[in-house]
Amino acid sequence: MSTFTMKQRKGVTASGWSGTVDDYAIAGAWTSNGGVLVVADVAGGVFGFEGKSGKIRWAHRGAHGGGALSMAINPITDQVSTGGQDGRILTWNPETGALSQTIDLGKGWVENLTWSADGKCLAASNSRRVHVYDVEGKEVWCSDDHPSTVSALAWSQSQELATACYGQVAFFDVFSGDVTQKLEWKGSLVSMVLSYDGDIVACGSQDNTVHFWRRSTGDDSMMAGYPSKPSYLAFDAKGSLLATGGGQAITVWSFQGDGPEGTRPGVLEAHLEPVTSLVFAPKGRILASGARDGSVAIWELDNAGNGGLIGASQLDDLVAGISWRPDGRGLAAFDARGGVTTWRVRS
Amino acid sequence: MNNQQKVPVTILTGFLGSGKTTLLNRILSEEHGKRIAVIENEYGEVGIDQALVINADEEIFEMSNGCICCTVRGDLIRVLGNLMKRRDKFDYVLVETTGLADPGPVAQTFFMDDEIRAEFSLDGIVTLVDAAHIEQQLGRSDESTEQIAFADVLVLNKTDLVSDDSLDALEGRLREMNKMTRVVRSENANVPVDTVLNLNAFDLDEVLERRPSFLEPEYPFEWTGVYALEPGRYELSLDDGPDPTMSLAIMTNQGSDDTALRDGAEWCVRQYAEDAENFAAGSTLPIGKHTSLQLQDAGRKSFFFEVDTAGKIGLYAQHTAEEFNMKVLNTESNQEIPFECERTWVAQHEHDDEVGSFAIERDGDVDPQRFNDWLSRLLRENGIDIFRMKGFLSLSGQMERYVFQGVHMLFDAQPDKPWGESTRRNQLVFIGRNLDEEGIRTGFESCLLSQ
Repeated sequence: MSTFTMKQRKGVTASGWSGTVDDYAIAGAWTSNGGVLVVADVAGGVFGFEGKSGKIRWAHRGAHGGGALSMAINPITDQVSTGGQDGRILTWNPETGALSQTIDLGKGWVENLTWSADGKCLAASNSRRVHVYDVEGKEVWCSDDHPSTVSALAWSQSQELATACYGQVAFFDVFSGDVTQKLEWKGSLVSMVLSYDGDIVACGSQDNTVHFWRRSTGDDSMMAGYPSKPSYLAFDAKGSLLATGGGQAITVWSFQGDGPEGTRPGVLEAHLEPVTSLVFAPKGRILASGARDGSVAIWELDNAGNGGLIGASQLDDLVAGISWRPDGRGLAAFDARGGVTTWRVRS
Repeated sequence: MNNQQKVPVTILTGFLGSGKTTLLNRILSEEHGKRIAVIENEYGEVGIDQALVINADEEIFEMSNGCICCTVRGDLIRVLGNLMKRRDKFDYVLVETTGLADPGPVAQTFFMDDEIRAEFSLDGIVTLVDAAHIEQQLGRSDESTEQIAFADVLVLNKTDLVSDDSLDALEGRLREMNKMTRVVRSENANVPVDTVLNLNAFDLDEVLERRPSFLEPEYPFEWTGVYALEPGRYELSLDDGPDPTMSLAIMTNQGSDDTALRDGAEWCVRQYAEDAENFAAGSTLPIGKHTSLQLQDAGRKSFFFEVDTAGKIGLYAQHTAEEFNMKVLNTESNQEIPFECERTWVAQHEHDDEVGSFAIERDGDVDPQRFNDWLSRLLRENGIDIFRMKGFLSLSGQMERYVFQGVHMLFDAQPDKPWGESTRRNQLVFIGRNLDEEGIRTGFESCLLSQ
C-alpha cells in the first residue's frame, strides 16, 4: 500500500462514522434524505447503515448467489434495487430492509441498473439484452439482442435510454421500442456518461481512449493518450465538465465555449495508482475521486477543469466506489476489504 | 506482482466431440482442494457443486489499433475482472472455448488488458484431439490447425478407436506442427489432472529435460565426425548401406566443441544449398563442396581426399557412419583413423502441413535494442502467421535470464532466475503458418553481440 500524504488546503471534510460489510463493497447509495446508506458486497450481501450513526439497521447476507454487481436507488421513492450474478434484481425498502420485489432474469449477470430521473423506469442490463421495469416491477420493454454484452446504461430523458456495447451507443424510446439514434464507433466501449441535458455522450474505450459525441450536431471526437482504459467517467451537474480516469491522473475536459476540442484539459494529480472512482457532488464543481492505492480526494474545479485538492483521506484498500449524500454535505467511500467510510463535507 | 502470486488460467480447446466436457468434469470432481472457477461457452453440461461455473458469451473484438490480429475476448475481461474482487479468491481458472474457436483471442486477453495481466497468468493451453477424426478436421478447418499449434498440451483422446500405427503417425504429424507441445494419450479423457493443470507451460527447462532434442534445428545431414589428420592422402571407405547415394561435405579447420560443430553445421547447410556434384567410387573428393557419393555398386567402395596442412577436418554426412560402416584410412599405412568426436543431428523432415514450428538455440548475449527492433518489425509484418513464440533470452547487461512469450503480435519478456554459473544461451521456439525459418534465423543471428 502506498502512502498518501496531502495537505488539506481548506480542510472541508471531517471524519464521520465507518463500518464494514463482509467482502469487497461493490456498490452503495444514500436515500434522498441521507437517512440510510445501502451497501452491497461481492459475497452477495446487502446492508442498510443508519445514515447518521453508521449502525447496521438491517443486513441480508448472501441475497445474491455468486455476488452482487450493481445497485440503483429510485430518486423519488427511495426503493433500492440490487442486481447480481444470480441474474436477479431484488428491490428493498431501505428503511426496513424488507424485500419488496424479486425479478428473475434467469441466466446472465445483472451488471448495470439505473432508475430514470422521474423514478418511473428501472433499466437493467443482462448480457446482450436490456429490460425496463416500472415501479411495480412490471416489464415495460425488453430490447432485442445487442451485438455484444451491454457495458453501460444511462437515461437521457424520462423515457429515452442509452445503451453502450462494443461498437455502438444506441438510444431507445422505451415505450415505443424505437431506436431514436445510433452512434457507431469501432471499439469496445467500457463506460458511458451523458451530460445533464443528454446532448453529450462520452464513452471510455478498451483501447485507452475517450470518445464523445454531440447528439444535436452529430459531431464526434476522440481523446487519446490515456495510460490505461478510462473505465471511470463523470459529468458535473451542469454538464460542462467531464472528469475522466484511465491512469493515476484525472483528466478534466471543459465543454464551455468551443471546447474541449483544441483545449488543454485540467489534470488533477494526487493519486499514486490508477483512479477507480469518480463522482461529482450533486451541486457545484466539487469532484470526489478514489484510486487503487486506497486514496480518496476531493477537488474544487474551475470553469476550465483545473482544480485544487480540498480534502483527502486514505482507506485500507482499493476504493471500490464513492457516493455523495444527496444534499452534498456527506460522502461515503467503499473499499475492496469491505470498509465503509464516511465524511461530513462543509460547503 | 510476480507470476507465482497470480491466479493461473488454463484454456481448454478442442473440437466438439473431442472430450472437453468429460475432461472438465474429471478435473472438477477430483479431490484437489482447489477452488476452481470455470468459464464456459457451451451451456449446460457441467454441473459440479464445488466449482463456480460461469457462462459467458464468446465476445471477440478487435482492438482498434489497426492490427487485425489483436483480437481479445471482451467477456473474459469483464468476468475475470469481477472474479478477482472476491476475498476468497479462486486458486485456478479454467476457460473452455467453443469447438470452433481460434485460441488466439483468449490467449491475447492475458496480454492486452492491464488489469487482467496484473492478476492472472496464462498457465497453459490444453487442446483435446479426437484421434479418430482429427486427420479429416485438419484438412478442412483452420481452427483445428490453430488449436494444435497453440497447445502446450495435446490430449490425444479416444485412442481405443485407432490402431497404434496410425496413432504414432498422427502424433508425428502433430509434433511437426508444434514442437513445444507435450502429447498425452487417453481413451476417455482420463488423463492425470496434473498433466493439464499447473503446467507452468512456459518453463522450457522442463520441456528441455523431457525432450532435449526439440530445440535442435533440422539439417539436411545426420552425422558429423571430426578427425585429426596430418598432411597426406586419405581413403574414405563405405560398405553397403540404406541408400544408393549419400551427400557429404568435408570442412577443414573443424573444432570439436559444440559451438564449433554448430558453426560447421551452419556452414554445411550453405554448401548443401548448392547442387551436389556426383562422384563415383575411386574418385578424389574436393574439400568444402557438396558432393554426392554414388554407392550403387555392391561391396566396399573407396573415395579419396587430400589434406594439405595438419589439423582437424569435419565430415558432414547425410547418414551416420554406422549405417555404411564408414571409415577413414591412412592410404600409406592402411590404418583406420578413429574420429576424435562425432555428433548426430536431427534430420530434416518433409513438411506437408502449412503450420509448423522450429526452434533457435544460440549461445551468447542478445543486444536488447536490436532484438526489440527486429522482433517488433517481424511481428508487425508476420504477426498474423506467428501463432506463438516462447523461449529464454540472454540479454546483454542483465544478470537474469529473460523468459519471453508471445501470441501473434503481442509479446512480453520477464526476468526469471539469475544465470549464475550456467552458460548464457538463447532458446526460442516459433510456431506458425508458412514461417520463413531461414529469414527468422538470420534475423535473430543479427541481434547477437559478436563475442
